[in-house]
Amino acid sequence: MRTPLSRRDALKLGAAGLSSGWLSALAASAADHPDRTRSCIVLWMAGGPTQTDTFDPKPGHANGGPFKAIDTAAAGVKIGEHLPLVAGQMKHLAVVRSMATKEGDHGRASLHLRTGNLPQGAIDFPVFGSLIAKEREQPGNDLPGYVSITPRGLGTAALSAGFLGSQYAPMVVGGDSAGGDGPGGLRVENLGLPTNVSQRRADERRELLDELEADFLAARPGAATNSHTSAYQRAARLMRESAAKAFDLSDENDKLRDRYGRNRFGQGCLLARRLVERGVPFVEVTLGGWDTHDNNFGQVKSLCQTLDPAWATLMADLKDRGLLDTTTVVWMGEFGRTPGINPRQGRDHYPNAWSVVLGGGGIVGGQSVGKTGKDGMAVEDRPVAVPDLLATVCLALGIDPRKQNLSNVNRPIRIADQSAKPIKEVLA
Amino acid sequence: MSKLLTTAALTAVCFGLCVPAAAAPPDPQALADRIDAHLDARLTAAKVTPAPPASDTEFLRRACLDITGRVPKPRDVYDFLGDSDPAKRAKLIDELLEMPRYASHSAAVWRAALAPETTAVPEARVFQTGFEAWLRIKFRANTRYNALVRELLTVPLSADAGSPTPALRRPEDPNPLAFYAVKEAKPENLAAATARVFLGVQIECAQCHDHPFARWTRDQFWNQAAFFAGVERHGDGLFAPMSETISVRVITPMGGKKPVPAWLLDDREPSRSPDVSLRAALAGWVTAKDNPFFARAAVNRVWGQFFGRGIVDPVDDFHDDNKPSHPELLDELAKAFADSGFDFKYLIRAIGRTKAYQRTSARTESAQDDPRLFARMSLKGLTGEQLFDSLVLATGFREGGGRGAPREQFLTRFALSGKPAEPETSIPQALALMNGKFVNDATTVGASPTLTAVCELPGLTTGGRITALYVAVLSREPMPKELNRLVRYVDGAGKDHLAERLGDVFWVLLNSAEFRLNH
Repeated sequence: MRTPLSRRDALKLGAAGLSSGWLSALAASAADHPDRTRSCIVLWMAGGPTQTDTFDPKPGHANGGPFKAIDTAAAGVKIGEHLPLVAGQMKHLAVVRSMATKEGDHGRASLHLRTGNLPQGAIDFPVFGSLIAKEREQPGNDLPGYVSITPRGLGTAALSAGFLGSQYAPMVVGGDSAGGDGPGGLRVENLGLPTNVSQRRADERRELLDELEADFLAARPGAATNSHTSAYQRAARLMRESAAKAFDLSDENDKLRDRYGRNRFGQGCLLARRLVERGVPFVEVTLGGWDTHDNNFGQVKSLCQTLDPAWATLMADLKDRGLLDTTTVVWMGEFGRTPGINPRQGRDHYPNAWSVVLGGGGIVGGQSVGKTGKDGMAVEDRPVAVPDLLATVCLALGIDPRKQNLSNVNRPIRIADQSAKPIKEVLA
Repeated sequence: MSKLLTTAALTAVCFGLCVPAAAAPPDPQALADRIDAHLDARLTAAKVTPAPPASDTEFLRRACLDITGRVPKPRDVYDFLGDSDPAKRAKLIDELLEMPRYASHSAAVWRAALAPETTAVPEARVFQTGFEAWLRIKFRANTRYNALVRELLTVPLSADAGSPTPALRRPEDPNPLAFYAVKEAKPENLAAATARVFLGVQIECAQCHDHPFARWTRDQFWNQAAFFAGVERHGDGLFAPMSETISVRVITPMGGKKPVPAWLLDDREPSRSPDVSLRAALAGWVTAKDNPFFARAAVNRVWGQFFGRGIVDPVDDFHDDNKPSHPELLDELAKAFADSGFDFKYLIRAIGRTKAYQRTSARTESAQDDPRLFARMSLKGLTGEQLFDSLVLATGFREGGGRGAPREQFLTRFALSGKPAEPETSIPQALALMNGKFVNDATTVGASPTLTAVCELPGLTTGGRITALYVAVLSREPMPKELNRLVRYVDGAGKDHLAERLGDVFWVLLNSAEFRLNH
């Protein structure tokens, strides 16, 4: 099973890619150009969404299932019938139908898509959001650089800043179910001081805490104490009024809130807009439930009823506020689902050929890129691997994907693996 | 991994080699000395001086948290400090292992390993109580590990699909079926969990394709799933009842066409008898004394629990590219554990007596930071249970349990994230401890039993009151530097503010890294 040559081959290929010139030019201009400084919103579809019933319909083939394909605002691009509002935004979106990855296990695939790497011994790879938070660090902003709204699932490792350190770890909103399923669960609890504690008293306590624990912390350097210190510092900044207000959705017009959908995902998308508006460089909003092994079509229809208004309203709202050109929106999960339908009317895990959607700033919308065959089983045109996708997003954001960070094992690691071949067609 | 499975070991496993039980109980000190010899040899070779022994209070707090899941009571602190017996540390370990809290803490630890879904998936949370109750019974009786695992893997399920076994009758009743229910009674989930928790092997990556790095193939994954092929859930949802048709002995892989038979991971055929569940054959092989994976995975997991890091780390990921830091030590521990009849208490006694476990977590030279050397104690994060139960003890809080109660909220909010020895504190956690109702009540006179007692106890100096808070929260007395600073802080505000200022001291201690971490 071992392929000792593959690494060397990969290095060779990587070097060839770099010398081809256009990536260097693109990456350099991306990194230098102030117009390309963008925020990123990832709509993370936990569980692996079905491409066949959403963005890569197969009408007329048995694998296509019962859903129809509908026209969109982009000529020639058809998508599944349960995303009509998203179809209306297709001028701002580019569908990539040729994702070809190798991991079909939720945990490993999530790590792969979110870090660009598979677990490798001792290296603690940071997730993409943490990498972006570091590149776009803004010492003046009291809000964290990476906010993750309603994450789900078992893999806490898929939310780790890894070797970058906990100051780049995501601030999680609504991740525990203690807040219930309603949109109110998105509140950040305990942001305000208790009523019996004055600001002055709180400040005195914090000073005393810093002073008294200094020796303990100094004698025990490492991830545990760093994370403790960082969380307290970041929490204190978040308590400042300007930052805390970002999470107060009651500021928003009721009609707009309705359009997003009065559910956690819909309101999460609205919160994402409020955060990028305030300079947060990376926000992800999770919609779980895509692991549709059984009753795929019933479940997907229902998921789309949550997804469609939230995502379409997000695009329109960003546009209305002049934020669409400075915000890149990515729709993705950890893999796709089998084009074949199983006996339980479900679709199983499928990494071989699936879709992601890129949109907003830095992206040429109104098109589809790559394609699968009539039965959807295989990529027939320009396969896209994980590093390719992450490098593409980096370039859309204005970040050089070749930049290196020093890992915990003192080895420099690029933001996107050097094998990455960005999807040129979609980059503005 | 293939090297682990020597032909000799395989032969022994497959033909159920019988070894007579040892006559005398094994001596934990002898094993402790051998552990230290292995670690010391490596430290010497690496030219690293290990950190000095932990103080009595540091050791006491650590042992209490690791074995009973909460900090010691103030009385325990003074008793331990006052005991002049040179063997008092070993004695303490023995005493802690006999406390009911050893069983409840171990149950929580193993529940988290076996059924992580009960914290991660809201609907699965209701299974937590009953599953822990079942595990608690096992740990209280010191049920041997092989027997416990065998029982779990062979839990009887109704053979009559028309009247399946309910997944849950009453949530608080001891219930091993929770393991099957949270895995959705799916053969592939059950097989993956069995391999991961009991064998330290992650075969699930081979679910969809041959794994590129390890030796496991897609067929082998489905071979394992086939042991559970007869298990069936009737209806949707985690609470659907289950049955088992033992005549079903093959499984059709996801996306495949050809059915795959049950076949052991060592490439041998399992024993099959027509009226016995294949799960029994799997359980027999998994828990066999000479199964090279089983004992290694178990000792490595317990080691990870006590040191924050496995000899193979992560503790459930044994493979060729993830080598043990001390291979001979791992072998020796596994053999000693199996020879003891899979006795957890023996293993914990030995670990607790080592110099390595008894080192301070404070660094005295930078080379001690390499966690693979075990040169100083790592800092471990407290689980939600450990944090809440320790908070309750320190603050004197009393309230009934149940859903929505503070304990349940803490378990959710303070569930550990990050690696055990690199615990991550989140912003919401910091906010909850700084501003949350629980800590605010605990640090407000009137609402807080401990603080009220400390403020109102007659005849105490300010220094005495501060000392009482230190012992309650940090299980130690303050150092002179700390005491001077805090007496100045408390007395500086005048008598009228005594309660408020002591409340601030209490708040500072409860929010300190020293309380938040197991060090």
